[in-house]
Amino acid sequence: MNISMKFIRRYVDLPADLTYDQIAYDLTMRTVEVEDVINTADKFHDIVVGEIKEVKAHPNADALKVCIVDVGEDELKQIVCGGSNLTAGHKVCVSKPGAEVVWHGEGEPVKIKETKLRGVPSYGMICGATEVFLADLFPPKDEREIVDFTELGIDCVAGQNVAEVTGLDDVILEVDNKSLSNRPDLWGHYGVARELAAIYKVPLKELSTELPKGLPEYPVVIEEPERCNRFTATKIDNVYVKESPAWMKTLITNAGMRPINALVDITNFVLLAVGSPQHAYDSTHVEGDKIVVRLAEDGEKLLLLDEKDLELTHDHLVICDTKKPLNLAGIKGGKDDSVLETTNSVMLECAVFTAPGIRRTTAYFNEKTDAALRYEKGIDTQRADLGVSMALSLFKEIYPDCVFSAFTDNYPVKTENAVIDITQDFLDRRLGEVIDRAEIEDILGRLGYKVEFENGTYHCTAPTWRSTGDVSIHDDILGDIARLIGYEYFKKQPLPVNFEESIHQTDVDLARRLREYLAFRCGMNEIFTYPWIDEKYIRAAGIDLDNSVRLATPPAPELAHLRASLIPGLLETIEKNHRYFDEFAVFEAAQVFEKGEYSPSSPDEVLPVHKNMLSGAFAGKDAKTLFFKVKGVIEGMSAYCHFKPLTFKQKRKPSWADEKVWLNVMEEGKIVGSIGLISVHALTDAGVKLVSAAAFELDTAVLEPYPSRTNEFKHLPQYPLVEQDLSLLVDEAVTWGEIKEAIKFMVKDLKFVEEYRGKQIPAGKKSIMLSLKIGNDDSTMTSKQIEKKMNGIIKVLGNKCGAQLR
Amino acid sequence: MLEKLEKIREEGSIRIAEATDPAKLEAVRKELTGKKSELQEVLKSLGKLDPDMRKSVGMKANEVKNAFAEMIQKRQEELIAGASAVEGEIDLTLPGTQVSEGALHPITQMCYDLNDAFRSLGFEVFSEDDISSEKYAFDNLNFAADHPARASMDTYWLEGTEDKRGSERLCLRPHLTGGSVRYLLEHGAPARFVYPGRVYRNETTDARHERAFFQYEALIVDKDISFSSGRVMIEAILEKVFGRKVNVRMREGFFPFTEPGYEIDMECLLCGGKGCKACNHAGWIEVMPGGVIHPNVLRAANLDPDVWTGFYTNIGLDRMVMMRYGVDDVRLFHSADLRFLKQFK
Repeated sequence: MNISMKFIRRYVDLPADLTYDQIAYDLTMRTVEVEDVINTADKFHDIVVGEIKEVKAHPNADALKVCIVDVGEDELKQIVCGGSNLTAGHKVCVSKPGAEVVWHGEGEPVKIKETKLRGVPSYGMICGATEVFLADLFPPKDEREIVDFTELGIDCVAGQNVAEVTGLDDVILEVDNKSLSNRPDLWGHYGVARELAAIYKVPLKELSTELPKGLPEYPVVIEEPERCNRFTATKIDNVYVKESPAWMKTLITNAGMRPINALVDITNFVLLAVGSPQHAYDSTHVEGDKIVVRLAEDGEKLLLLDEKDLELTHDHLVICDTKKPLNLAGIKGGKDDSVLETTNSVMLECAVFTAPGIRRTTAYFNEKTDAALRYEKGIDTQRADLGVSMALSLFKEIYPDCVFSAFTDNYPVKTENAVIDITQDFLDRRLGEVIDRAEIEDILGRLGYKVEFENGTYHCTAPTWRSTGDVSIHDDILGDIARLIGYEYFKKQPLPVNFEESIHQTDVDLARRLREYLAFRCGMNEIFTYPWIDEKYIRAAGIDLDNSVRLATPPAPELAHLRASLIPGLLETIEKNHRYFDEFAVFEAAQVFEKGEYSPSSPDEVLPVHKNMLSGAFAGKDAKTLFFKVKGVIEGMSAYCHFKPLTFKQKRKPSWADEKVWLNVMEEGKIVGSIGLISVHALTDAGVKLVSAAAFELDTAVLEPYPSRTNEFKHLPQYPLVEQDLSLLVDEAVTWGEIKEAIKFMVKDLKFVEEYRGKQIPAGKKSIMLSLKIGNDDSTMTSKQIEKKMNGIIKVLGNKCGAQLR
Repeated sequence: MLEKLEKIREEGSIRIAEATDPAKLEAVRKELTGKKSELQEVLKSLGKLDPDMRKSVGMKANEVKNAFAEMIQKRQEELIAGASAVEGEIDLTLPGTQVSEGALHPITQMCYDLNDAFRSLGFEVFSEDDISSEKYAFDNLNFAADHPARASMDTYWLEGTEDKRGSERLCLRPHLTGGSVRYLLEHGAPARFVYPGRVYRNETTDARHERAFFQYEALIVDKDISFSSGRVMIEAILEKVFGRKVNVRMREGFFPFTEPGYEIDMECLLCGGKGCKACNHAGWIEVMPGGVIHPNVLRAANLDPDVWTGFYTNIGLDRMVMMRYGVDDVRLFHSADLRFLKQFK
């Protein structure tokens, strides 16, 4: 919203030494956010009134004239001009050198220089309205017409700045509409003036609330009093369409609207002044001379002023005569029955519609009008008093001969004042400082509250303009007091300290250790993907779509499914990155969802099942290497992240895994996740070529964090251990697991070194190289003991695994 | 014989001096003093000499032997002092072997930085599930029944629940604030906790708008704390994020779940508050909302607002990370693009 400071000054006299920046700052801190301060006079620099002394023919061009002009300087200036209405003795608009004008009203402003036109020197430019930002105020009749102040009846002297002459020497505060959303009282200049009067402790001018008396009734029927709390109709005869007086056009322009004609401008001016929307109907079009406020019939039609042809439904409130809808209530007037060129009698509506209906209808037709913006914030019914009174006095001022011939105030629902008690004790505690009673009463009084103080309690009656939802509890009153004192003036208070116990959240710690382990130990990059995922990747991962939770209005049709697994997201990530990187590793920790029932906070709320998943993938060339990388990550995880160890077993193949290469991750006999190569099929469907990938997924909610680190101390061996390497030849079917199981109790340490198949190895066999450590607990091993122990190991390997030494 | 020994010594000393590395020196030592060396031959042949000669030759031979030992020792020390483990030329400008390249997401990094700061102030870390209901996301938070944020243009409702109401209408949570009621229901008051998480809005995306983004909420509930205490919390956040004290100001703002509510601005770091393009010449940048928890929210958490009060603030982590590093497109955070993510160690 644009706040015109000229407009504001109609209602409050602000201290003379106050700068606009200060006003913007104080409003921002205490009331609403001022986003910009614009001085409208800036663009009128070097644009002044010139008095034409003489108009001569141009020696070289018939269309041009040579004018001798007084621009308020010591000597007269010569200006060449093509204007169609140059008249000696008249005062016009002159751009001096340095001024910036818009050439023919189009494009970027251009700087004026002294120049020669067709051989004749010209000092500056005599301008038309479109060239100097005056088209809204003085719409030109044709392209060559120049602004003639004498003709317009505007009093001015040569040399005077045009902004000053036209009233465009204003300062506009641009206010962020969002910050006004809970303050319906600020949607008019009078409301902002009230805030400024309270901030600077200066008087606010009172406005009349007087309504016409003793006039005949204008019949108004309100069928929906819940949606229309009040409807006033005033019939005004003996009017006609004409331009508004300059002062009003200026203020309307400065506040960001366009003057149209006096009949419409009066309604807009009142809207801008007190935030009370009005509408003027051509009263001769109101058939049956009766207004009915009712819901539309389904399918009923209404053509709006903006040419939009509406098909109404039964939820839309319309203002009708006895036959047809005239107006979309509180939003926009109908084209056929609003003010027309021929209008000579108007029916002026000043009504109060309630917010929810306006919001629904505005959204339905996408009609965000100035009136709707105000109604949807919630307007008090009393505001219509200000609106009617101001509008009628403007009619009298602008149309001295007009006649108010009928008036009705149909007023089924009145806004009640909010009445709230707040104690001095509450204020002291919550403000953290003791504020003087006199100051509290002063602040609240200036904001329109009526306050009575008794036994430590302020009994506050809020003004109606704050009583439509904005102010309802004592905290609101505390807020009003605190903001008007200024939050910046309250001393910073320390947080209360409580040393009863330290923070000990093992689940939070584990979640962090897991991520840090994967990132820092395992060299993986953490990623985030969206919870909705392209069906393509869900299908690629072979995941059942039936069990997934869906969005009602997804970002795109193919993104309706919420993820039930992080694997599809990993597939997409591999697909996106594999053209930039040959090898990479990523992981993601996030929630996944599936149909089911789960109530985290209260039994009435049943949510789908959530799982806290941790998944990761290694992508690269050699599938086997990638698989064992993933296996190593899970094997090391419990020790580094300090939770109960995990084991592996083939129980249930994950849908995304390779036929052969997969394992389930187990914790105490329960499947808590899986690892495996991602199947060639899944990668192909996801669009991944020439790259293999191995992945893991783990349900981290089941992991049980240890309360502290798990490391335990073992004494260093007192006697040296003997390290021996063995190279074994075994059948293909023999696994490392079996070899390890066979001899693990005979050795102090056992390590797999490598597996080998090749020319020297017979078909159906493989070679396994291992490294082991043996030793005595109470002495150094003798070579005889070593030989005996090794022979025993080899024998066991031979018996249990059919292994031969190579 | 004596001359021969003298010759052995002369030649030997040259050989020792010429040995250029410890291995060569060891070979020279074997040649000069080993079993098959000339010197040993001389010593072995001592028995065949007449007694006079035997004595003087023996003395001389031992002298040479000792001299060799001394020279070799000295040479060895010289060689070790000047030794390199690398033979031949080496290009020291070659890059070092890269350390493990993994990293946390920049949002997680920021989140952990903040967790550390808040834990030091005695705050717990809380997390809520991604899916919530209208009851927790809106009703409990004092949102008007027809508040536009409840519409499907703003919030992602789940299919099949979109036309229901309250606890039966489910959505991807549109903000974290609803979770604070869950925490308070479970833990009661007093309470102080932070609450990081991802939230979802039905928006048109561009460089500054995302459908999924991260928030970091901090809440303190206690008796008689003043809103002025909230400044400590806000300053702690910003100091952690930017590594130094940042001036902040609180000004009037409106949110359904606070009363009073604030917009919190920080001094523009680029111009130091003087006003520049980045801060639209205001000197201040709006960074987060905050405020005193609305009594209706406390009631939803079964707390008596006449006894308890609280201060809340919520920062957009995406925005903070963007400011921290100058990232100019919010969509990069969910891109999973390693060319982006690998920049943040």
